[in-house]
Amino acid sequence: MKSWMPFEWIAATRFLAEGRMQTTFILIGCAIGVAVIVFLSAVLTGMQQNIIRRSLLSQAHIVIQPAEEVARPQPRGTPGGELAIVQKRAQRLLSIDQWQRIVPEVRDVPGVSVVSPVVSGPAFAIRGDANKSVSVAGIEPDDYNRIVPLPDKMVAGTWRLASTDVLVGTELAKDLGAGVGDKVRFATPGGGDVTLTITGIFDLGSRGVNERNVYVLLRTGQDLLNLPGGASTINVTVDDIWQAEVVAQAISAKVGLEADSWIRTNQQFFIALNAQTISNIVLRISVGISVALGIASVLVVSVVQKSREIGILRAMGASRRQVMNVFLIQGGIVGLVGSFLGSGIAAGALQLWQAMLKNPDGTPLFLLEFDPMLVLWAAAIATLTGLAAAVTPARRAAKLDPVVAIRA
Amino acid sequence: MPDEVLRLERVRKSYDKAKPTENEVLHSIDLVLRKGEFAALIGPSGSGKSTLLNVMGLLDRPDAGKLYVQGEDTSVLDERAITKLRGHTIGFVFQYHYLLSAFTAEENVMMPLLLEHGRPDEAMREKAQALLGKVGLTPWRRSYVNNLSGGQQQRVAVARALAMNPPLLLADEPTGNLDTKSADGVFELMREVNRASGTAFLFVTHDPRLADRCERVIELVDGRIVSDGPRRG
Repeated sequence: MKSWMPFEWIAATRFLAEGRMQTTFILIGCAIGVAVIVFLSAVLTGMQQNIIRRSLLSQAHIVIQPAEEVARPQPRGTPGGELAIVQKRAQRLLSIDQWQRIVPEVRDVPGVSVVSPVVSGPAFAIRGDANKSVSVAGIEPDDYNRIVPLPDKMVAGTWRLASTDVLVGTELAKDLGAGVGDKVRFATPGGGDVTLTITGIFDLGSRGVNERNVYVLLRTGQDLLNLPGGASTINVTVDDIWQAEVVAQAISAKVGLEADSWIRTNQQFFIALNAQTISNIVLRISVGISVALGIASVLVVSVVQKSREIGILRAMGASRRQVMNVFLIQGGIVGLVGSFLGSGIAAGALQLWQAMLKNPDGTPLFLLEFDPMLVLWAAAIATLTGLAAAVTPARRAAKLDPVVAIRA
Repeated sequence: MPDEVLRLERVRKSYDKAKPTENEVLHSIDLVLRKGEFAALIGPSGSGKSTLLNVMGLLDRPDAGKLYVQGEDTSVLDERAITKLRGHTIGFVFQYHYLLSAFTAEENVMMPLLLEHGRPDEAMREKAQALLGKVGLTPWRRSYVNNLSGGQQQRVAVARALAMNPPLLLADEPTGNLDTKSADGVFELMREVNRASGTAFLFVTHDPRLADRCERVIELVDGRIVSDGPRRG
């Protein structure tokens, strides 16, 4: 007996140690439950972050666009003579009015991290007999690289651009039969026509993007798309991707332009993520309840087994509270120890998962982060669950009438 | 009276109260136990001995009548106060020892003190060692109680019952499960403690041999005291 330990702790630990087999089983049960929760949470969080990272890799969090052009019919002289049908206007490629003034304003909106003007529009990439339709983006590389990390994605050449250079995707390079240093002609329906040199080939992880996206300097893009000095969109990234919609609304309110967040443009995707999160929560709660019931049932059995001993403790002067605490502490200890064992199992399983599931190139399928906070949370919640599970058995023990318990 | 340890006045106790099967087990019991007494409670099975012992030990409440422990009227005490009073004034030894198997002999003897003070300390340990010495179990003090013989276990139970220096020790057939030799040993032990410390003993027994060795024998038949006096013969 350790002198610093109060009676309740001494009795709780001794009872647990005495019922070795029961204690072992319930610890294993609790550990597996916690392991499942921690493992699934880590996998799911990792997967979601991975999906988000991939889908946000080649797109800005918020895109600011010029106001949509609307048809404005000339009013006629006769009252009530409105037109029955007003055809929608075809949207021309337009520059954002005074974008040079707007960019610093957007930078000042709280939550915004990077702002980069882009001019983008359709063009044809022509080399020999090959003629591919592409989407040209004229960028300022220093800013734009902080939105889409092009330097990390280069598979050949360099990401540095001069006014006669172009970056193309792996698929387009293949389709055109071109490599770094080769020249490609770009033509637009508006009459733009330039010949550029491929300085780099990128792989953004998506076939469509690798086939269609080409990057040139902003100035080159403006010339090609016939928008001298213009920017068709302003791309923005935010500090917290989940706040993108809020920031988009703030930008919209400040500069009076339409600002679409990735959350709004990927709503279906978002609903799917939410469904996943909810199903994860349901799963966690179910596992938690089954662990709690396991702990409770073992403690109930222990109370029945020990009812005479509890009776004699009560006869010797143990208060109901002392008896109750003995069983509450047992529940808490099982929860706490089980959670650490479970976190250990989960950490091992995650290592195994990382080692076994790999991308074709040998990198892990996706990075799983084992958050130490998750372990602390699991420990806290498992301890509380153990305590809660012990309430019924503990009250049962505390209610034992010494006479009945001794006679039983 | 100053040397009164326990007083029962017209104590009644029924089981299955207000039911068709209601059964009055104790009928108006009057009884006084004094400091230093060594008394046997005898009677046929079903005569109410254990019920009487439980009522005297504050394990059970009487339905009517008064119970005074060291002059204190227990009918006005709540559950918590009763538990405290019981812990301080009454030691129990049962037919079965009810020791805690998760603890050693010494720790079992310390248990009432531990319950009282919350945490173990050296004084408790010394006291437990002294008591185990008194019951002749010093070599076994660190043994878990399941590794002791029946007689040894009952001796530990006696030592435990004495841990709080209670003025009264109640024993319900403490030798009922023991062979004659061990039974004699436990009986003599109680006798010695009684003489040395003045603790009053009341023990239920079916063994006329042991009852005859007590200076006071109380006989209970059908819930009534039919005789109460010094040992016969």
